[in-house]
Amino acid sequence: MGLLENRFDDNIVVEKLDKLLSWARSTSPWFFQFGTACCAIEMMAAAASRHDLMRIGIIPRSSPRQADVMIVAGTVTMKMALRVKKLYEQMADPKYVVAMGSCATSGGPYWQHGYHVLKGVDLVIPVDVYVPGCPPRPEALIEGLLKLQEQILEGRPLTRKMG
Amino acid sequence: MSEDIQVLIDDVVAKALAGDMDPINNIEDRVTRSKAKAALVKAKRSQPETEIKSKASEVSENSDVKTKDTIEHIVIASLTKNFSNFLDGEQNGEWIQMKAENWFDIAKHLKENEDLYFDSLQCNTGFDLEGGMLESRYNLHSMKHLHAIEIRIKVSIENPNIPSVESLWRVADWFERETYDMFGINFTGHRDLRRILLPEDWEGWPLRKNYEEQETYHGIVVPKVKEGWE
Repeated sequence: MGLLENRFDDNIVVEKLDKLLSWARSTSPWFFQFGTACCAIEMMAAAASRHDLMRIGIIPRSSPRQADVMIVAGTVTMKMALRVKKLYEQMADPKYVVAMGSCATSGGPYWQHGYHVLKGVDLVIPVDVYVPGCPPRPEALIEGLLKLQEQILEGRPLTRKMG
Repeated sequence: MSEDIQVLIDDVVAKALAGDMDPINNIEDRVTRSKAKAALVKAKRSQPETEIKSKASEVSENSDVKTKDTIEHIVIASLTKNFSNFLDGEQNGEWIQMKAENWFDIAKHLKENEDLYFDSLQCNTGFDLEGGMLESRYNLHSMKHLHAIEIRIKVSIENPNIPSVESLWRVADWFERETYDMFGINFTGHRDLRRILLPEDWEGWPLRKNYEEQETYHGIVVPKVKEGWE
């Protein structure tokens, strides 16, 4: 560090701003509090005291404006798909999507005969992490969220090319 | 069980019923004794029943007339006095098959007549009977008389019109909207007949047998051929 060496006290850390920003983002990905079906129960269990998502900095927000992560928890019907898309568009950048459970990833049990079910939420909005299971246990969701945190940490918000 | 033992058991049971328990208690073989006791219990149990039966048969001769008239018969008899030509085909006694034309007036009669008083519509569902026929079924119940009937109305798939009973039983509002949503049965006179579950701009009636999924919905692809997706 040549120039800065021994000029400050020991409690100073020097880091790239890019990495600092992605670190800050990754440790507080507040998720949008909504559920479309039974996976939401597991999502609530993950946020409740036994599994306690808050210890990794993840807390539910009730407004899309304040949320960074959208956890699509449950079956998305065609009617709901338009609303999910609208909610995703209302979220401020940067935003991430976790598709939780079989239904949100591929239509799940409604794959063959559910005429009204969206066959995977990635047909409507871009998905970052898929969590399989029907429904996934809270541990699985936490695993998915940790994967998302890794992904965010690798991101370089300042060097990202726009467009 | 050999015949000798059976004869012995019958004998001791007859004596026990007469009030003498000693023969049963004196049987030496443990298995035979327990069998005899079981037979005694059985005999005692069946005895009072036969007494009750003989009493009941006297009473039932009077009530026989009442049980013969099921609620379906009573309803049809009451309706025949006020309406003509409302039944549709043969009746089987378990439900009433009706024509759609006078349904609203008939329903009003069913609800307001003092003897019938069907004040509660418990359910309304649709059916696709195939062969170009749809059916709407109504389950009515009377809180006052505690009787219930089922009414079925068939309509053709080309002209699926049934008078709405939404203004009689308010609960029929959503029932009929659901039947309309799924089967496309048009309830004439309904004040707010919209789809209830599916979005407003959905095409087709999903629970009809000849329903085909639409290919896209607001630009979202509905995969029909699913092999390529797996």
